[in-house]
Amino acid sequence: MNGRSDLDEGRRAAFAAVADLLIPEAHGMPSAADVVGDARLRFVLTARPDLGEPLLEALRPELGTDAADRIAALEREETDRHAALLQVVVFGYYTDGGVRQLLGYPGQEAKQLYSWKVPPFIEEGLTDQVLARGPVWRDPATGRRAEQQRPTPSGRQEE
Amino acid sequence: MATEPADVLVIGAGATGGVVARRLSEAGFSVVCLEQGDWHDKSEYRGAELDWELVMRKQWSTSPNVRGLPQDYPIDETDAEVSPLMYSAVGGSMLIFAGAWPRMLPSDFRVRSLDGVADDWPLTYDDLRPYYERSDRHFGVSGMGGDPAYPPGGEDPPLPPLPLGAGGLKVARAHTRLGWHWWPEPNSILSVPYDGRRPCVQRGTCQQGCSEGAKASTDLTHWPKAIAGGARLVTGARVRRLETNGAGLVTGATWLDRDGGEHFEPAKVTVLAANAIGTARLLLLSASPAHPDGLANSSGLVGRRLMMHPFANVGGLFDEDLESWQGQFGCSIESFEFYETDERRGFVRGAKWGLAPTFGPINAALPSRAGTQVWGPDHHLHVRSHLGRGANWGLFGEDLPDEANRVTLSATLTDSSGIPAPEVHYRISENSRRLLDFHIEKATESLREAGAHTVEVDRLMRYSGWHLLGTARMGDDPATSVLDRWNRAHDVPNLYVADGSCFVTSAGVNPTSSICALALRAADHMVDTRFNQQVPL
Repeated sequence: MNGRSDLDEGRRAAFAAVADLLIPEAHGMPSAADVVGDARLRFVLTARPDLGEPLLEALRPELGTDAADRIAALEREETDRHAALLQVVVFGYYTDGGVRQLLGYPGQEAKQLYSWKVPPFIEEGLTDQVLARGPVWRDPATGRRAEQQRPTPSGRQEE
Repeated sequence: MATEPADVLVIGAGATGGVVARRLSEAGFSVVCLEQGDWHDKSEYRGAELDWELVMRKQWSTSPNVRGLPQDYPIDETDAEVSPLMYSAVGGSMLIFAGAWPRMLPSDFRVRSLDGVADDWPLTYDDLRPYYERSDRHFGVSGMGGDPAYPPGGEDPPLPPLPLGAGGLKVARAHTRLGWHWWPEPNSILSVPYDGRRPCVQRGTCQQGCSEGAKASTDLTHWPKAIAGGARLVTGARVRRLETNGAGLVTGATWLDRDGGEHFEPAKVTVLAANAIGTARLLLLSASPAHPDGLANSSGLVGRRLMMHPFANVGGLFDEDLESWQGQFGCSIESFEFYETDERRGFVRGAKWGLAPTFGPINAALPSRAGTQVWGPDHHLHVRSHLGRGANWGLFGEDLPDEANRVTLSATLTDSSGIPAPEVHYRISENSRRLLDFHIEKATESLREAGAHTVEVDRLMRYSGWHLLGTARMGDDPATSVLDRWNRAHDVPNLYVADGSCFVTSAGVNPTSSICALALRAADHMVDTRFNQQVPL
């Protein structure tokens, strides 16, 4: 099952039942059963061909028709296949463009830095307040927190 | 392959292999490097692609056991509480590291003298400071000088700091109210164009390869210069063992190519730069009748004192959208407020905190760090409450050395070339557990003050062994250390170890900056002593 969604009818039905149980339609979001069709499965299994075999096993007919029982049995006895099944559902769902749009998640975007601007934390004086509290480091010579070097009257640091 | 011995053979083309090769080739040494991985092109990185969060859990996992690539070696970690993480390639684990670049603090070099535990280093912060500064320029470090967690003076980071992001700013303000230390984190990630490289675009996918080339890794920062200086880098070269002569000197390395063909690379001096697990493994694999317990191991300490930094993740959730999937995955801010020993806390030493982004929607649904999975109708509320609304304190606790924490050779597990794999034995100490408990409590206070309505804790992350340290410690006494203060093996005068194996204690900070500064210092020493270097005839 390398990059293809060649689930037979029984496994496709089992997948839809699991997907709908895990991520149902609610709170303005669609069900994973509706979102993760053949195209999304193909995408997931192309990116992660290692999930194909455990997915097929997790959807085998011997585990029955009840989605909750299937998930519970896998979680109890076949943790790797259980993890693979959850991952395929989640991967398929959250790589769907419509789902991302509903979430307001545009993906990992490239954003231009403007390092010539004075950062807000400087503008707010936040680092000034850190500096005003003095050194934090421990001086190995004394074993105690280092002391602030005070400016001399001439404005030069004490040696 | 070459029949004339190189001046220096470097094993491993990662962080320290690159540092040493660049310095030595620029000084006129003939340098050969054997690297079991390969070059990666920036186009191979998936951070800008739709499948980023899918492949980061397999092909781009930080764990070689999860990736299972042919160039990886497996690690038997059944007796380890933390999984070691690494990457085999030109650039090494820097391809998948976060880029955080703090230095060790002065007290880190004097743990025995100050706190009566572990050992002092045979050098001081002031000894290492010039190498930190040079190394910062070589890698391109962004940050802000004046951090009161460090002694004053010296050079500021060469580039301006990266943004704090909305989450970083909230937490910085909270620390200001609490009167706690914070500072912009130094990162080896470019905030402006530098040395022909592009700046960071805040994509937040640093740990799966930087597709901009903004995050430093030696395939970008050092190897091109080393190769221009004449260094020869052989990829797909898996070293089986180091060979020695009757005088006890290393004569070179036996290695296997991708097709299993065996070769020998002769050299006058050999430098191991294969990380604290790979280097210990190679020294143990190089046992011979003259060195039955492994090479350079008269102290019995090769492979022992492995330190990996017990790590906790404390994540705060906020009502407002912080777009926390974006930003450098180095860190935005750091805190050393509770770094130094306070015996009233019931433990010694401390931890550095670094604030990091929170990944995308798949991580909100299937958290790889702190958090839970929620299924059914409330799944949607759970994802909405997490996606873009988090700030994660990563707590790196100082890991005191323990000789029982060690690397050995597996009797049953091998890599794809049939070479015995390393076995890692690693337990968290009671001191570390108390340390983490205290710091988790304080980090929770920090996030609550910043306005977090929920705080989620991963108390000891399994997949957090990014920092591999201590398996060939340096010191002045050959009976209690493997390397001298210049990273040279006490037992083998033409063998150096440049990687984090040399660490005496772990400190409580991300170590790559210190590892690279120490490697640069060792390379300088090799240059300075080149005419006195003992070599095989």
